[in-house]
Order: sequence, then structure tokens, then C-alpha cells
Amino acid sequence: MLVFVTRRLVVSFFILLASTALTFFLVAYSGNPLQDLLELRGPQRDAKVAARTQSLHLDQPVWIRYLLWLQDVGRCLSPFGGPCTLGSDRNGGAVLPQLQTAIGSTLRLVVVATILALILGVVTGIVTALRQYSTFDYGVTFVAFLCFSLPVFWISTLLKQYVAIDLNTWLNNPTMTTAGLVILGVVVGALWALVIGGDRRRVLIVFATAALATISVMYVLLVTDFFREPYFGILGIAVFGVAAAVGWSALFAGLHRRGRSVLISAVTTAVAGAVIALLLRTVIAEGDWLVILLVTLGLIAVGLLAGYLLGRPTQRLAMRVSALTGVTVALLVVVDQLLRAYPALFQATGGRPIKTTGSATPNLEVDFWATQLDSLMYLILPTLALMLASFALYTRYTRASMLDVMGQDYVRTARAKGLNNRTVVVRHAFRNALIPLATLMAFDFAAIFSGAIVTETVFGWSGMGKLFTTSLSNIDPNPVMAFFLVSATAIVLFNMLADIAYAYLDPRIRLA
Amino acid sequence: MTVGNVFDPVFETVRSGEPILKVRGLGVDFSVDGSWVMASEDVEFDINPGEVLAVVGESGSGKSVSAMSILGLLPQNARVSGSATLLGRELIGVREPMLRAVRGKEIGLIFQEPMTALNPVLTVGFQINEMLLSHFDMTPDESRRRVIELMKLVDLPDPEKRFDLYPHQLSGGQRQRVMIAMALACDPVLLIADEPTTALDVTVQAEILDLLRDLHHRLDSAILLITHDMGVVADLADRVVVMQNGHIVETGPAQELFTYPQNAYTQDLLAAVPHLGSEIADAATPDGRDDRPTDWALEVVDLVLEYPGRGRVPPFRAVDGVSFKVPQGEILGLVGESGSGKSTIGRAVASLLPITDGSIKIAGRDIKGLSQRDLMPMRRKVAIVFQDPASSLNPRMTIGESIGEPLFLHEKLRKGALAGRVEKLLDSVRLRRDYRYRYPHELSGGQRQRVGIARALSLGPDLLVADEPTSALDVSVQAHVLELFKDLQEQYVFACLFISHDLAVVEILAKQIAVLHRGQLAEIGSRERILRDPQDPYTRRLLAAAPVPDPAEQAIRREGRRALLAAGADPDDDVATA
Amino acid sequence: MMAQDIENEPERIPPDNVPSTELEMATFVGIDNELAETGMGPPVGSAPMAAKTEFRIVAKRFFRHKAARAGLIVLALIILLAFSSIGFGPIPGWWKYDYTEFEPTLTDGGAPTLSIFPPAWGDHPFGQSNEGRDYFALTMRGLQQSLIIAFIVGIVSTIVGTVIGAVSGYFRGRIESVLMRFTDVMITIPLLAIAAVIAGQIGGSGIVGLGVLLGLVTWTSLARIVRGEFLSLREKEFVDAARSVGASSRRIIFRHILPNTVGVITVSATLAISGAILLETALSFLNFGVKSPDISLGLLLQQYRQAMDVRPYLFWWPGVFIVLISLSVNFIGDGLRDAFDPRQTRAKA
Repeated sequence: MLVFVTRRLVVSFFILLASTALTFFLVAYSGNPLQDLLELRGPQRDAKVAARTQSLHLDQPVWIRYLLWLQDVGRCLSPFGGPCTLGSDRNGGAVLPQLQTAIGSTLRLVVVATILALILGVVTGIVTALRQYSTFDYGVTFVAFLCFSLPVFWISTLLKQYVAIDLNTWLNNPTMTTAGLVILGVVVGALWALVIGGDRRRVLIVFATAALATISVMYVLLVTDFFREPYFGILGIAVFGVAAAVGWSALFAGLHRRGRSVLISAVTTAVAGAVIALLLRTVIAEGDWLVILLVTLGLIAVGLLAGYLLGRPTQRLAMRVSALTGVTVALLVVVDQLLRAYPALFQATGGRPIKTTGSATPNLEVDFWATQLDSLMYLILPTLALMLASFALYTRYTRASMLDVMGQDYVRTARAKGLNNRTVVVRHAFRNALIPLATLMAFDFAAIFSGAIVTETVFGWSGMGKLFTTSLSNIDPNPVMAFFLVSATAIVLFNMLADIAYAYLDPRIRLA
Repeated sequence: MTVGNVFDPVFETVRSGEPILKVRGLGVDFSVDGSWVMASEDVEFDINPGEVLAVVGESGSGKSVSAMSILGLLPQNARVSGSATLLGRELIGVREPMLRAVRGKEIGLIFQEPMTALNPVLTVGFQINEMLLSHFDMTPDESRRRVIELMKLVDLPDPEKRFDLYPHQLSGGQRQRVMIAMALACDPVLLIADEPTTALDVTVQAEILDLLRDLHHRLDSAILLITHDMGVVADLADRVVVMQNGHIVETGPAQELFTYPQNAYTQDLLAAVPHLGSEIADAATPDGRDDRPTDWALEVVDLVLEYPGRGRVPPFRAVDGVSFKVPQGEILGLVGESGSGKSTIGRAVASLLPITDGSIKIAGRDIKGLSQRDLMPMRRKVAIVFQDPASSLNPRMTIGESIGEPLFLHEKLRKGALAGRVEKLLDSVRLRRDYRYRYPHELSGGQRQRVGIARALSLGPDLLVADEPTSALDVSVQAHVLELFKDLQEQYVFACLFISHDLAVVEILAKQIAVLHRGQLAEIGSRERILRDPQDPYTRRLLAAAPVPDPAEQAIRREGRRALLAAGADPDDDVATA
Repeated sequence: MMAQDIENEPERIPPDNVPSTELEMATFVGIDNELAETGMGPPVGSAPMAAKTEFRIVAKRFFRHKAARAGLIVLALIILLAFSSIGFGPIPGWWKYDYTEFEPTLTDGGAPTLSIFPPAWGDHPFGQSNEGRDYFALTMRGLQQSLIIAFIVGIVSTIVGTVIGAVSGYFRGRIESVLMRFTDVMITIPLLAIAAVIAGQIGGSGIVGLGVLLGLVTWTSLARIVRGEFLSLREKEFVDAARSVGASSRRIIFRHILPNTVGVITVSATLAISGAILLETALSFLNFGVKSPDISLGLLLQQYRQAMDVRPYLFWWPGVFIVLISLSVNFIGDGLRDAFDPRQTRAKA
């Protein structure tokens, strides 16, 4: 395994080299950086031309320029290299600082979009595979096709225009008419009924339950003014935590006799997590990234411990499920804090929570959680626009893979052994279905970068996309190269992760 | 005496002599493109305790489908009617939970392809374990011990280590043993084995059959054996059910069925099965090689064939120093199991592979190192017939075009002349002339093989390489194709390198037999001598392992094989493949 | 792709029933795997179909696919509309306005005159642009440009991809290694970015030039798919049969293998076209593709982005057309894939 990783690292390094070389040459030939200067008149002109020629090494052949650029990159990477700038832009300023401000927002966008698309896509893919040819399946298929066909810039603008504005208006005064409530309930109920499927009776039961549940929940939320001052509280964390514990146990261990110990340890973790959250609430409220990390790790540890102590006879499974529950509870704690920060943020940003321009509110004087919530608000729409196509891709691909796996001999063997459906799907089919996905992730991540360029333009972010487009229009090679460098590195790293995941999932690779 | 300490009132029923499984009126239909297609109909049989019932048939007979339907393992578009009762409990049409209780616990299943039937991402130990844990209440330690016990029971060497291995790290035979262990884990009353040895080499097959018989006796579970191989039936079965096109055509005790088949189809089927030793029964053993003609169609001298290494994978020596000669007009049977190198040699002779070392002389001329241009005239002298009728013909070329391609390339024939020759060739392989306008997907497997033969004969070659030409065909079809082949060889008098893993098939055609083992020549000699008096230990084992379609004779052969193995020749090690 | 680094990993030959990875990715649409549905043991390996009768069978299957039918009709209508309405080249159109005519004052603020009830076309059904040009004409012109570019890109990338894929898949060896390395490198470069860089170079040599250049950066996934097909097909026995008779490599590639890859290539080409439309419009939107004074749907969308508040229709029309074209092509591609995909559900007894 270690050999595998090392080899990948070496290969990746060379690929990066080739990639940057290729892009450098293409960028160098894409236009003349002196063009705008050549159109000037006046005594300054020659001096300026000379200055720029020197700073961009335009008097050297292209491959020398590449080597110089590489040298600078090397200086940035090695601790002994001294100061580095990643080249200078056409006005002589260093590229690196510009990159540093831009990189954060873009990476955030790209990573969140990828993760969301992946998780949602895989889950939807699996459900549609299990419900092949059902109405739900056809519906999702159509939505997927639609998502493939939507230009990112178009959907972004539409989201900006309609979702943001209308939702913002509603959030300012959250009310709902009875008719609205009923419609909401019906729609949600119908969705659940479609997903769960089954015979007539079951469909109706699911529909009714879901619709009623939705209506009542919504009503309660409205009445308690949740949309203005949202929060869960410890009670909320406990309740949802236990629900998650039950959910994860049901999925991975089943709820009958063998799964009981797993269930117990997971629920214990959830409750313990809630208690810990209660005890540490002041610390958490002050919080920062370190606190979040520690809390998460702590909850995972609690989960592992609970699994170890309570999880006989299936200790390892109990530990894993409880750790997963721990993570879920940590997530709930974070969400709770973010929700609490909402009112303050609402005030500070003038009553328009969902943002459409820029990536962060400037001069925001609020605490940590509110700042994070603020970033999140800015992230919502662009992420949504960006992940649609990837989501569709993952859904279709997972579906195909899952269907293929379900038709394999070993699934039939699993059934022949008398295993129940849940075990067959989760333990036998699922992992095998994921294997081909690793290859897909590589291709998709690059596409997300492309999409990010567009999304940033539409939503006015000052990220790498903006850096790229502005510099390219100005025929400014070094910032453009910075973009290519960062994107190539990110993609290569991501690919490596995908490869490692691939090797982890498939023992035939690991133990050839 | 059974595995585990499960005390089950079922055993009492078993002792009483009632049939374990009663199948009545079982029928399976499939919904294809909107209409129902019958796969099997009115299937009826009983399985008594401790008995082995074989369900035999060719493809399309409905044997697999019927067996799978008992446990409800058919796909969504299948419809099952009729009844199958296991110890009085109905299995057809019951709800899933009830079926699940039966699957694995009371009926164990063994599938055909052990590589694909085992989950590649889970260890073999886990997969056997899972069986136990899902049906019984055991602690992990108890179940692990049980799994090791089971693995020992199926003769898996080194069970503790094997527990944590993945399926791809085991050999084919070992994987099948794992499947058997899994099927037996819960001590079922009935084992359903669906073509359990079809994907295995002959020697490995013999071992697995031994294992099954052994277990069957020790554990007293009945076996429902589904197979197309009459030799396997003769080896294992107590009673036989013969199916054709979805119907049962005959039932009876094994020995009776083999000796006095009543139904015409059964008779034809049995007549078509190559019976090892039957062709040479009356022939005398020719003397050793003397006054051999110097007119050799094929001379292979110290042939070495290597697959080049790629990256870190080292080169693989498939053939290591093999020599043999084929006289003009004679057939040499090249026999071996998988990995023996026989196919590799065939391809090299047909100039499809480069020769690493040694020489291959066709009609006196060495083809090693010849340029493509120089090779062209040689290509007229050698033709090759392939194994898989599904992929040996270009799906986008008509039959006429496929057959005519060699003529087109070598004799530059066109239009009328070409059509004439193609038609004559179709005549010679007993196909209608208008077939030349058809496409491969419109022909059956046997017909496609004939087209392959016609194509091979089109240039009148001196030497024909036949690479397992009938292995992918049903037994009855195989018989016809072999007969055709024999006639053609007598008519056109071409030499032939007949490659096969099946000694009985080779016996029908070949005058000489060469046995290959792991890239080396184990033995070579006349057909009679090899089959009657093999000298090489591997040849002996190979011969002893091949089953014959006659239960009495097979029983005797079994004993002989046992003696042979006990006498010290170690059976082929089941080497784990990389 | 690094995970399929052939040189350093043991050869993994997927069983016949594993969806071809690259085909899935380019088609985006996945396999409706009937084989999975029947689940009868190892499915019969996919045997490509024969030629003459195939066209009829394929066509029949294609037209059974409802969405593909609809897609074909919609696409045909759009193409017809785009090229006939305002004319193309020397051929005049039936629409009264040209996209170059101005009206100094906007009629009714430039609002669309299209109405559903009572159904009327009106003078300016899509409204007018800020300078008073008829928006319908503008949109049609943009459609023409985008369609032409998309088809050129599709053709160029298909040809280049097929040639490279065929050569590397058949001959293997160094050519193949080079291709695989190159593809690995291409994966690390976001397509839009590199397209933007390259497109800048052609400047004003028109849309054909742009199309060709874009085609030259988008062939990699198609090449991989074709390579995959060639790799698997060259192991088939009929290729060996041809080789054993002495058929030249050229004959084998063109007469034996290529005809059997037609299905895959057609499907990939179709999807390349749909991807091309989205790529070109995105490029134009960012001002790197088609530039003023020429017109493209993407360019229109960029110009009228700000007008969303006041005159949203200016933003809707071009976008809707892009979606419709892309959707139709995708459905057609899906239909083609279904039509070519052999569904051998022979129940094994």
C-alpha cells in the first residue's frame, strides 16, 4: 500500500510538471503581454515596455521563461528558498499575495460542491437503482438530463434572480398561509411516497404520514418563530442525535437481535454527545476551528469507547457505527451554533441573508459563528449552481454501477445464503458499486473547476476564477499560470485520494 | 457425525424415508419484450434423503431455471407456477422471509463460476462466517472455529491463513471448495449444485467430485446436481432426470438410464457424448515410431514461447522447449489443461504470436522471424479454426464475406468467381448456399463453427489448427461438427493440430496424441498407446481424472484413480493464482 | 487515468458485464442494464451487431425511445427555425427583420409582442435589444452560430479522437503510453480554462476556426473510449482470424474493428456536440469565445445579464434555447446508446 502511494506521488509530480509546461506554453502563445503598452504614445512608453519586458522575461525564449517560473515555484514550496512571488503580474506586483486572497474562497466553493454532489449523487443513484423503472427513477432521470443540459452561468443567474430575492423577501417575514402549508405537505408527502414506493397501501401510508408530519413540523416552526430565531437547543441535539443513531444502526446493522448491541452503543453515544455539548456549551459558543475539531474528535472517541464497551458481540461494527453517530452529533452541535448566530447576522447584514454577490461580507463585526454562517450564506447559491451537473453525473453513474453489481453472481450468492435485503445491498452490493466511481471522480473534479470560473463571475466572487479571467483578458501570463498551478495541484491531489480510495475499496488492487 | 451440534427435528423426518424435496408441475416463464416465454414446464421429480439426483440437459433445457426457481432466485421478470415442497413445506410463491429462512439453512447452493460467485471485496472466511452468523446465534469466536472446521472439511490447506484471503488470491479449485464450505455451513438437508465443475480443469474437477461424494456420504445431505456433462453424472448421480426444451423427457436410476435409455432424445444425447476408450476399443496398438515419412506438415523443434513482461510484471514463459512433428495428412491431438500452453502453440503455428526461441517449420520452411511479406505464402498453408462461435466471425460481415476473405486476399478473387468458391465451401460444410447472405447473429453456434471451418479450408491449407473447436458447443451439436470434421479431413486430406482439453474428443479424431503440462511436453505417442498405456505420471493422472458416461465403468475408474494418487504421485497443487 | 496506469498495474481485464468506464463517463447517462435485471448468471458477452439489417433494427429501437424521438423532433425544429427564419449566407429568410437592423426608438420599451391568448406573433415576439434590434433575429443568429460551432467541434473532436484512440488501442506500445500520459495531463487542466486560453489566439478568424480549435481540446475523452473499444475488439477471435490469413493492419482496423465501433462512436459524437454547445456558450459568456460584433447565445446572455430585473425575457430566450438543444441532443444520445446496446437476454437454462 505504501509502495502504491509513493509511486502515485512520483507519477503525480511528473504529471504536474508536464501539465504546467503545457499550459505555460499555450498561455505564452496566447497573446502579446506588451500589446496594450505598444498602443501608447509618449516618452513613457519605451520605459514601460522595457520594464515589463524585464519583469516578465519577455526577452527570453519561452522555455527559459518556463524554467524561471518553475524556479520561483520551487522557492515557494521549499522552506529554504527565500521569498517567492510566483512571478509578477504585468504591473510588477507579486502574484502570490493575489493568489492567497483568492484561493481560499475558490477552494471552499469547489470542495463543498464536490462533496455535496458526491454524497447526494451516490445516495440518489443507489435509491434509483433499487427502485429501477419506478416513477421516482424516471423523475430523477429526467432531472439528471436537465441538469446536464443547463448552462452553469444561466442557472446561476436565474438562482440569483429568483431564489435569492424571493427567499430573502420571505425570510424577512416568514409566514405561510394554510393553503401554502397544505400544498407543502402534499408535495413533500408525494416525494416520500415516490421514493419509498411499494404497493398501494404502503404508498398511501407513507404519503399521509409524511404530509402530516411536514405540515405539523412547519406549523410548529412558524409558530415558534423559528425562521427568525432558529435553534435546536440541547434537546434538539439529543433528539436528532438519537434519531441519527437509530438510522445509522438500522442501515449498517439492522435492528433485530444481532443489531441490538450496535443500536445501544450508538444511542448511548448520541446521548453522551448531547450531554457533552451541554457541559461545554460556553466553550463551544466562544468557539473556533480548533474547538470544533476537538469536539468532533472527542465525540468520535466517545463513540469508539461506547462501541468497545457496549458493542458485544459485534464490537468492530458497533465502534464504527457509534463513531459515525459521534460525527453526526458533532455536526448537529455545529449546526445549532450556526443557527443561533442567525439573528445577529441578520441584523448586521441588513436583512438579506441569502447573498448573491461576493464571497464574504466586509467589515463584519460579529463572533466566530456568525462569520462562518455569513460565509455559508454566500456559499449556498454558487454551490448549488455548481454541483447540479456533477450531481447528475454521479447519480447516473452510481445507478448504472449499482444495477450492474446487483446483477452479479455474488449478489445472487448472497441471496442464496439467506441474507436479508438490507445486508445484501449494504454489505455486498454497495462497496462493489463504489469501485468504478473513483475513476469518475477524477474527471469530474476538473469539470467543477471549470464551472467555478463561471460561477464566480456570475456571483461576483474575487476568487481564482476572477483572477483567471481578468488576467487572461489582460494578457497577463503569470496570474493565469497561478490559476493553472493551483487547479492542477488540487486535481492531482484529488486524483490521488481517489486512487487511494480505489485501492482501499478493491482488494484486487491492494493485493495484486 | 454432522458439522456442528445443531439438533434439528428435521433429521427425524429425514430418517423416515420420505422424499426431502417434492417437485410437482413446476413451470417457469420469462417476460421478454412484453410476452411470456416458457423456460420450463411441468417439471416433476422427487429427491430422497441421501440421494444424488442429476438434472441433465443442454442449453435451453430449463434445468438451471427450474432449480433456481425452487429457492426463488430468479430475476424479476420470471413467473413460477407449480409446487416444490421441502419436507412438507411449500416453497413456491411464499413470502421472502420464509424463503430466507430456508435458503442457506436447509438448502445450500453451489454455483458454477467460483470467481464471480464470491464477493471480491470480502475475505473468504468472512463470507463463510456470514452464513453462520445470519442463521445461528453464535459468538464470533464460536463461528470462527466453525468456519475453520468447515474449511478443513473441504480439504482447504492451511485454513487459518486462508480465512483472511480474498477470492482472487485462491485458485479455481480452492474457490469452489470455499463455495462448498459455504453451502454446507448450516448443515442443509439438500445441496443444489449448479454446474459445480464446469469451469474447472479436469483434474481439479475430479477432486471436487471426490469431495462432493465424500461429503455427501459423511453428511447425509441429498444433492440436486445440475449439469450438462454426462461424465459427471455417471460419476456422482444415483438418479437422473433428462430435460429438453423445458420438459422432462426421461427419469430413472443412473445405471439404467445409461445402459437402456428409453427416450429417443436421451439415446441421441448419450450416443453423442464422447466416451473415452470407445474409439480405440478395437484398434491394435501400433508399434513405436519407425520409417516415418519425411514429409512433415508441421515440425516444432524446441519451441519456446514467452509473453513479454510489462512494467513490473515479469515475462511469462507459456511454452518451454516443446518438440513434435505432424506428418502430412495426419491429425495430432494436443491435449492439456488450462495454462498448459496448448492454445499458445496453436496461435504460434498460425503466425499469430512471435516465436521466442526454437523453430516452427511448416511444409519444411521455418516461420520464425519471417517478415510479413515472406509470411504471406506461408499463411496459405496454415489455417486456424477458433473456439468461440460468438466471436470468431465478424458480426458486421456476411457469412459469404467472412468465408471469402482469405480468397479475396490471397487469390484476388472477386464477384462471380468468389461467389462460386464460397458456395462450394458452404456445400462442403453442409450449409445451405443462401447462408452466404446472412449475418453471424442469425446462425446457431454449431452453424457458425461450420462457417469457421469453411473459412479455414478456403485456401486448401496443408495444416489446420483447430483450437478447441467444439468446446463451446452443446454435446449433440459437437457430435455433428466432429463428424463433419472427420469427413472433411478424410476428403481433403489436410494435416491437423487438434487442440483440446477433452481426451475423449481427441480420441475420436487424432492418430497421435501429445500431452502438455505447464508449457512442457509430458508425453507424446500414438493414440492407442497414450490412452491405454500412458507412461508419464501427469498423463496418467489426466487420464484417470476424465470421467466416462457409464456409471459402472466410472466407478472402476474412480478406484483406479484413487490407487494412482495413493501410490505417491501428488495431485496437482492448487497453486494460488496471482 | 492514473488508476489505470497500465504499465505499472497488473492487467485488469474487466468481465464482459462491467460497464465500460469511459463510455459511461462520456455518455453521462449510464446503462439501463437489462442484463442486471435478468441476473441470469454471467450475461452473454456483448456481441456487436451486423451491418445492413442493423441499421433498420437500430433505427427501430431508436424510434421506440420516446424521449429520443422527442429530442430529434425538437432539435430538427430548432435547426430549421434557426436557419430558415433569418436566412443563412446567400439564402434569405422568411422573417422580416435581420439581426443587423436597428430601430432608433424601442417599441413599448422593447417588450416582447408574443402573446398566447389571443395567439399573436406580433412585431417583436422576443422583444428588442437595448439598441433596438429585433431580439428574435438576434437569438436566431446566435443559434446559428452556436449550432455551427457545436457541430464543427463535434466532428473535429470525433475524427481526432477516433484516429488517436484507434491507433493507440490497436498498436499499443509507445503510442498508447504517450496517449495515456497525455490524457492524464489533460485531466489536470480545466477544460474551460484551456479553451479560453486557446480561443484567444484565433481572434477574428471566425467561428469555423473557433470550432476547430475547440475540437482540438475536447477529443481526449472520446479517444479514451475508442481506445477501450479497440483494446477489447482486437482480442476477439475474428480479428485473429483475419490476421492469420494475412490481412494487413489497415484492413483490420478499417474493415473489421472500426465498423464494430460505429455505435460507440456515434453516441460519443452526439454527446460531444451537446458538451460543445455548453462549452462554447460558457466561453462566449466569459468573453473568450465568440466576440462582438458577432453573436452567440452565450454572448447575448452575458450582455443582458444585468437586465434581469427590468427585462428578464432578454435573458430567458437564449438560455431556454441552449437548454432545449442540449437536452434534445442528450436524449438523442441516450436513445442511440439504447439502440446500439445489444440486449441479449437469452435465459440460460
